[in-house]
Amino acid sequence: MSFLSYQHFPIYSVMALFLGAFLIVLFGKSKFLRNLIAFLATAIALGCMIMLIKPVMLNREIICYWMGNRAMAGGYAIGIAMEVDQVSLFFGLLISTAVFVACVYSLQYMEHDDNKPQYYTLFLMLAGGVMGLVLSGDLFNMFIMVEILTFAAVALTAFRNKAFGALEAAFKYLVVGCMGSTCILAGTIMLYAQAHTLNFAQLSSIISGDINPSTLVAFALLYIGFSTKAFIVPFHPLAADAHGAAPASISVLISGVLTKSGVYAILRLTYFLFQTMQLGSIQFMLVFVGSVSMFVCVTMALAQHDFKRLLAFHSISQIGYVLTAIGLGTGLGLSAGLYHAMNHTMFKGLLFLAAGAVHFRTGTTDLRKLGGLGKKMPWTCALFLVGAASISGIPPFNGFASKWMIYQATYQKAVESGNIGFLLATIVALITSVLTLASFVKVTQSVFFGQIRPEHEDVKEVPAGMIIGMSLFAAICVVTGLFPRLVTDFLTGPAANAALNPANYISSMLAGAPVYKTYEVFAGAGVWSPVNWLLLLMIALLGVTIVAVLSKYDQVSESKEGELVDSKFALFFGGEKTEYSQVGGEDLFWGFKQNWRHYFSFMHELHSGVVNDYALWAVVALALAIVFLQIAL
Amino acid sequence: MFNWLTVLETLGYILIFPGFLFCFLVGLFLSGVDRKIVAKMQKRVGPPLLQPFYDFFKLCGKETIVPAAANKGMFLAAPLVGLASLIVLQMFIPIFNFTAFSTMADVIVILYLLLIPALAMILGGAASGSPYAGVGLSREMVTVIACELPLVLVLLAVARTVGSAMGKGLVFSMSEIVNYQSANGSLITHVSMIPAAIAFLLIIPGETGSHPFDTAEAETEICEGLLAEYSGGPLAVFKLSHSVKVLTLSSLFVALFLGGLGGKIAALVGSFGLSAAAAGMIGGLLGAIVLVMLCLVITIVFISLVHAITARLKVEQVFKYYWTVVTGLALLSLVLAWYGF
Repeated sequence: MSFLSYQHFPIYSVMALFLGAFLIVLFGKSKFLRNLIAFLATAIALGCMIMLIKPVMLNREIICYWMGNRAMAGGYAIGIAMEVDQVSLFFGLLISTAVFVACVYSLQYMEHDDNKPQYYTLFLMLAGGVMGLVLSGDLFNMFIMVEILTFAAVALTAFRNKAFGALEAAFKYLVVGCMGSTCILAGTIMLYAQAHTLNFAQLSSIISGDINPSTLVAFALLYIGFSTKAFIVPFHPLAADAHGAAPASISVLISGVLTKSGVYAILRLTYFLFQTMQLGSIQFMLVFVGSVSMFVCVTMALAQHDFKRLLAFHSISQIGYVLTAIGLGTGLGLSAGLYHAMNHTMFKGLLFLAAGAVHFRTGTTDLRKLGGLGKKMPWTCALFLVGAASISGIPPFNGFASKWMIYQATYQKAVESGNIGFLLATIVALITSVLTLASFVKVTQSVFFGQIRPEHEDVKEVPAGMIIGMSLFAAICVVTGLFPRLVTDFLTGPAANAALNPANYISSMLAGAPVYKTYEVFAGAGVWSPVNWLLLLMIALLGVTIVAVLSKYDQVSESKEGELVDSKFALFFGGEKTEYSQVGGEDLFWGFKQNWRHYFSFMHELHSGVVNDYALWAVVALALAIVFLQIAL
Repeated sequence: MFNWLTVLETLGYILIFPGFLFCFLVGLFLSGVDRKIVAKMQKRVGPPLLQPFYDFFKLCGKETIVPAAANKGMFLAAPLVGLASLIVLQMFIPIFNFTAFSTMADVIVILYLLLIPALAMILGGAASGSPYAGVGLSREMVTVIACELPLVLVLLAVARTVGSAMGKGLVFSMSEIVNYQSANGSLITHVSMIPAAIAFLLIIPGETGSHPFDTAEAETEICEGLLAEYSGGPLAVFKLSHSVKVLTLSSLFVALFLGGLGGKIAALVGSFGLSAAAAGMIGGLLGAIVLVMLCLVITIVFISLVHAITARLKVEQVFKYYWTVVTGLALLSLVLAWYGF
């Protein structure tokens, strides 16, 4: 094989990131070299992944790569293997895109911080860890990558350790993250003791048809371990703390990349490793946990008044959508879930970058202390609105396309299985969507619109590099929303097919050649053609605009000088304290929360912020998962 | 193939029927009737029937003031986006057997498009920078959340009923729902659909923000809330959107629950023995007239009457009402539909 053969590309992308990390330790003193190395490393990783689209996604090859050419010997896979199928590549693409954009954004965003060499080293370690995890072909390497990424993420969470809460957030994350890693290690050990191999393909072929209580415990351990990486319920409080404290570019990685590694691992476990388990019960577990994550986290987000904490809870809520859809186990469900995973990386990345831009200029993310920035930062405001529309699923942005598929998939599953529980998932998903919209209305109102604070009168737009970072994400949001068939045909469709045909994965590793089975495109029962819709909307808008223009627009600006010097809402409250008001970031949707006050006060008490409680939740979740699996299967 | 005739036809759909002109005339007519009827019920003389038209043109001629604190682009674009999305929505709701763009409509898409006018109003109000708009925004959003749950349940129940009757599992397409009714009679004749129909009728005043659910505009407390800073043309467009929304929701009700009348109209027109083109034309015209009549009935009973006999609720009462009474009805309907009644 020549060095430029695409068989090498997976290892090149992981190597580029790790090598970049070490080179920055050596040459990080120089700003130019540091930025160059970080940019090149992430660009090479992204480039390798894009070059793999043709062989893997279009020609449906599965790349098996043995490190040092130590292939299987004597029927056992001893060497270190990477196996890249469509699922791995799909996640690899998401991850490398998010990492690349976050890196471009970081170059200017981190200007004011110290210790930049350490930042880039950890940044690339985290990126390399996640990349290695999704491309790895055996369970033990996955564990090693989990360790690398957990520690890099913990260190990065506490990177701005002078900020309030940063160390506390990192400590919480460290404790629960380590519990998760330990669970993964324990699960790996249990499987190894039983099957004497760690290679995915071989493990899967050995334990298929031999699901005994000990493999079930191993599954529960692995599931809980990777849940802590995906931050799904009951691990959501950690995400909020970590996102709130970390720099925005790191929040992008935690939310868009690190949680995806958890989702990827759960998908890999359910559909590949434990493929012969009775899927019905596992599906129930995933859909249940997904729906609970969706709803609990969106209501938690409604109660927040910190920009980034709010985004963090939404992040888990969207992961809930992904998990629900993946848990359905149908082609449409998997395709929808993966599509939403991709969209989540893009719009959540965009939103975190917008939050970072606000923090960069104003020094705060507290919604109560912001307002009226839309006039000062028009680009950030416009790009934020694209992200907010995408996450709320407003047509024709990408969030709508994937949510629409998720509703269809859950409803179809409910009808086909006759189980009314799946119908509940559809309803929860639809309601979560409107609550998401509500909380983004709150952010829009209290950050970009409304009255500007006197101390922010001379705020300027952020530098071009940060706008480019945000624009990249926004462009992807619009394009994938306008051309959903492109995504379902070339990215999520192949990945969903790979997940439904694990035999290909196993045989290409063990026998060297995959056995191809059926291949279909999963694209929803109805017709969703956003381009036509957009054209229509444009024409209608044009018509209305013509009428409006004919009716004489005459803009007079009324000056409001002299008012509103002190309080954001002095006009309305006559100087009354705004803490108890229903306007702005504080408690905007009082009418909703009033009716749900018992629920909200219950949640408030539950989320005590004490790490002991969260560790206890982890133990309880593990116990429940073990008991559930033993009973259900 | 670029066909000028198709382009002309599409433009005709968008600008005349069932697009802009139809929405403009019927929407403002409905709101004129509403004002007249409410006045009669309150023993007043009331404005002339064409008052909303006069108001619209009068406002268009007035000066448009943009507050200094406002985000100008969003402030001026919001009313247009809201109206445009309503007109697009109206074009995707079949009028009995007539659909301008048959293949594209879907109940979930309609659910989301219904959000956009409210969202446009919220963003426009927020962009004005007025604290009154801030309070109005909060209330409008809570009302939207309140209506969303029962609306979702109603639409899912309809999709399920039609789906199981057609043996397909689930049907989300609007035109399939209407075609099914045209062939097999209105959905309202199904036992399971009666609570859903009632729930939908109760949603109409909430979605359009009319009395007693007009917390977001509450003139006496928060100076029309979201519209506080609007004047001139943009205000006229918002008022027009408000009227068109009444038409949109009532015609959505007709399409979802009374679609069986389409079959009757077709049979009636068929009995004249006309040519296919003429029958289609007359059928469409007759359908539009029947639709306007039905919308008129719905407006009078569920907007004017309700307006005249109730006082404004508080926002948490609005929320509670929708999430208990109306949701209960919709849920009952969904459960009945699920078990095949």
